[in-house]
Amino acid sequence: MGKYIIKRIAFMLVVLVVLSFIMFLIYNLVPNNRAYTDANNEIKTYKHGLTAEERETKFDELYLQYQRRYGTDTDNMVVRYLRWVGLYPLYDGSFNGLLQGNFGYSYEYRDNVINVVGEPMRNTIFINVFATLLALGITIPLGIFCAVKKNSKGDQAVQVVTIIGYSMPTFLISILFIWIFCSLLGILPPSGMKTPGSDYTGIKWFLDRMYYMILPLIVMTFSSLGGMTRYVRASMIEALSMDCIKTARAKGLREKVIIFSHAWRNALIPIVTLVVGWFLGIFGGSVVIEEMFGLNGMGKLMIDSLRKTDFDVVMFMQIFYVAMSLLGNLIIDIIYGLVDPRVRVNK
Amino acid sequence: MADKKNKTRIAPLSWLTRMFMGASKSLPDDFGQRAPENDVEELVSPGKQYFRNFMERKLAVGAACVVIAMFLLVFIGPFFMPGYDDAYTEVTQKNVPPGFRMMDVPKALKNDVKMIDAYGTFSVGLSNAGDVYVWGETNIGTTNIDIADIPAEVKAANIVMVAAGFDHIVAIGDDGTVYAWGNNRLGQYGYFDPEEYPNIAPMPDELLNGKIDVANIKKIEAGYQATAILMNDGSFYLWGNKNAYGNIDNILMYDNKLVDIGLTLNYVVVVPDSAKTVFTGAKGLYTKFKTDIQGETESLSAILDGRTIKELACAGSNISLLLSDGSVILSGDFARGSKDMPALGDGEHFTTIQSGSYHYTGITNEGNVYAWGGNVLGQCRVPGAADKASTIFSCAFQNYAVNDSGKLVTKWGLSGYLFGTDGYGADIFQRLINGGTMTMTIGAIAVVISTIIGIIIGCISGYFGGKVDILLMRITEIFSAIPFIPFAMILSSIMGHYPVGETTRIFIIMCILGVLTWPGLARLVRGQVLVARENEYVTAAKAMGVKESKIAFKHILPNIISVILVTLTLDFAGCMLTESSLSYLGFGVTYPTPTWGNMLNGANNATIIKNFWWQWLFPALFLAITTICINIVGDTLRDVMDPKSSAEK
Repeated sequence: MGKYIIKRIAFMLVVLVVLSFIMFLIYNLVPNNRAYTDANNEIKTYKHGLTAEERETKFDELYLQYQRRYGTDTDNMVVRYLRWVGLYPLYDGSFNGLLQGNFGYSYEYRDNVINVVGEPMRNTIFINVFATLLALGITIPLGIFCAVKKNSKGDQAVQVVTIIGYSMPTFLISILFIWIFCSLLGILPPSGMKTPGSDYTGIKWFLDRMYYMILPLIVMTFSSLGGMTRYVRASMIEALSMDCIKTARAKGLREKVIIFSHAWRNALIPIVTLVVGWFLGIFGGSVVIEEMFGLNGMGKLMIDSLRKTDFDVVMFMQIFYVAMSLLGNLIIDIIYGLVDPRVRVNK
Repeated sequence: MADKKNKTRIAPLSWLTRMFMGASKSLPDDFGQRAPENDVEELVSPGKQYFRNFMERKLAVGAACVVIAMFLLVFIGPFFMPGYDDAYTEVTQKNVPPGFRMMDVPKALKNDVKMIDAYGTFSVGLSNAGDVYVWGETNIGTTNIDIADIPAEVKAANIVMVAAGFDHIVAIGDDGTVYAWGNNRLGQYGYFDPEEYPNIAPMPDELLNGKIDVANIKKIEAGYQATAILMNDGSFYLWGNKNAYGNIDNILMYDNKLVDIGLTLNYVVVVPDSAKTVFTGAKGLYTKFKTDIQGETESLSAILDGRTIKELACAGSNISLLLSDGSVILSGDFARGSKDMPALGDGEHFTTIQSGSYHYTGITNEGNVYAWGGNVLGQCRVPGAADKASTIFSCAFQNYAVNDSGKLVTKWGLSGYLFGTDGYGADIFQRLINGGTMTMTIGAIAVVISTIIGIIIGCISGYFGGKVDILLMRITEIFSAIPFIPFAMILSSIMGHYPVGETTRIFIIMCILGVLTWPGLARLVRGQVLVARENEYVTAAKAMGVKESKIAFKHILPNIISVILVTLTLDFAGCMLTESSLSYLGFGVTYPTPTWGNMLNGANNATIIKNFWWQWLFPALFLAITTICINIVGDTLRDVMDPKSSAEK
């Protein structure tokens, strides 16, 4: 098992390097020259005493200085990439990259990227964890119910509802819910994170926040209901048709015990892996919800940064998303390996 | 040859019979009896069995029908909309709700029409008895003003003249009182302090507090947010929003008596009493004239050649002049596709002309009615019955023909929009159909790209195994590790920094979608191939010395096509959804090219969701119904093709 995990982690690192290099190349396609902008800004602050020629030489000097500081004084993409990661020295021999904790600088917020993303990341994780728990609380009982009562009226109704749920894009569900809860009923706020102008603390702050979070959470839960329920149902049906269930029935065990103790444990294996993957995948998916409801999360930050061409932030987010999804894959692989010995033997 | 023809005609028929009756039942029993059902189990090919099982599921058949209908609608529909233009905008038709009420003349008015006027989405009519009627889309934007609420004093008064602007109505009573109602936030009527509102030309005080000499009024005309009254002695009143009509001040300072006055969308146009020139105060505007829309332009004095101007008619961006000899000359920009001037017979000449928002109508001395100018919404399709009319009221996009006794003979033009209009004034139904073409094309091409990549990689990886397999599967994993929406967003936004055309952009979006969705299919194909390659027919093919690549693609692939088909269907819906999400966020296809996703783009604020429900409901319905039906079809296909699930049944 240990060898298997090490292998997977090694592979994950390779993929991370490859993907981050690709991302870096794409990022460098953006016609955005930070050294040039900075040099330009600085030359403007100089007094007007300079002649045009002096100004030009001064500018060249500054430009080179900034290029050296940012590590862009070479056209060799590999060197630039290594400098960005922090494995290749800059002109002055120092290292200043991701590994040294330098994630870039946001022009929009005039701060280091790492400080900018803190608050949004907390928000995103908060709503994602909450929505996941809610969704699991609903989908697992529902899926079991559908599997046990297969082809009954109730099951068929749930099947139709879930197919609608997973065929509708999140933004459509959001629009629908905003229409129902904000326009028609008028009981929930359509967007925002707290009552404007309020300055609550403690329990009041929490209640206020929850009031604004209800709608996004409902939407998020609802949009993940469809796929999850179907998945739970399918794996439960699979488990219920196993021979051990027949044996259990033949033994005369109570139906409840059969379902929750025998079948459910077998059905759990694929579900657990799915839940992990889905939980990590939700980070990418909440982009739409955050934009829709004006939540200050990672997705909204990314969209804003893309619109304002604040590419250092975008780059960080991209790497974050990639790392998240790789981590998800790794965890899934490890769980698979734990529950299904064939996997780790095969690979 | 004849034989072949015969076959092609029969084939679809036999398909239909087979679809509904089943192939084995197509041979009629001579004795009118059916063979006992479970006598001998008939042999059915897997394809036929799948089809039969599929047909048993009513929901899936219904869904398949909806999908096919949707396909036909979006791919054939655009051929019936020759006048459709992506970038079409119409300022007077913004946010019109669905319905066909714009030409619903009230019954009480039908036989007693004195005058009818319109500028925006509603029309105002006046009966000979002096009663005012308003019909059409009377709710004005988000202002909560319903212009059909006619003030009580107007109802009580005996009205002799009315005029409708974009969002206000002006009426004159027989005692000379000037009434106005509707929106007055931008100086359409009422008192405005010139100090406080420098951009409003206020309504003259004698109209606000005094009376007007009713007998002497020659003409009243209302424009976008301005109104003009012309008197018989050539003096005039003019007030309204200077931001909408930049030359109001020039006209107010123009100290000539006038023959005629008119309002285009942006300018006030007047004809001074010399009747030889047109004055706007704007340099170079309406100085060159032509006798036909496509004709050469000449200066006004050259084209007049001694004649004088009798009437002026102003549309949105162009004007028509009726000259003293009954001919008509034009000036200004005409949109492409405008209807040309009619060719009149010998001795026939126009007696009067009228203007709508983009078109003109004229009546000749022989009683014929002709229309010319913009025809996008059918304003120029004059019905035959119109020739019985003595007066035509052309206004906005509607025309009403009235005979001598005041009876409404016929009407033509725009009656409304099936799905309403969007914030730019474009017809949502037309955009939906054309947007559907785009959405489905993008989905289809993206799926084709991803399927091709997926099949090739899956087949190679599954069939050859070993190092190739490991390498390809690692690549697949890399691709599936890319978070989809963020990555597509960053690519699309980077593309925005390069000068690429809209078509290229759309093509690149298709490629992005295709290139990012293949890993799932590749894994599936690989798994299927792994199973299939152990089959006997593969061993047989190997023994016969068939080339490896041929075995993979020609022997194994056809056997796993059913699985691919299912994934194809589900992926198609998936790609449509992703494209919609991207376009909705503004990182996919962008305005003006419509797709179902970016048509919902405007619907991300509560005001629009609440007030203009038709702008998001219809695209949302189309998108949701299509993807739901595709998913139902795909799901059923999977169930049908999976022997395990049918055995359980």
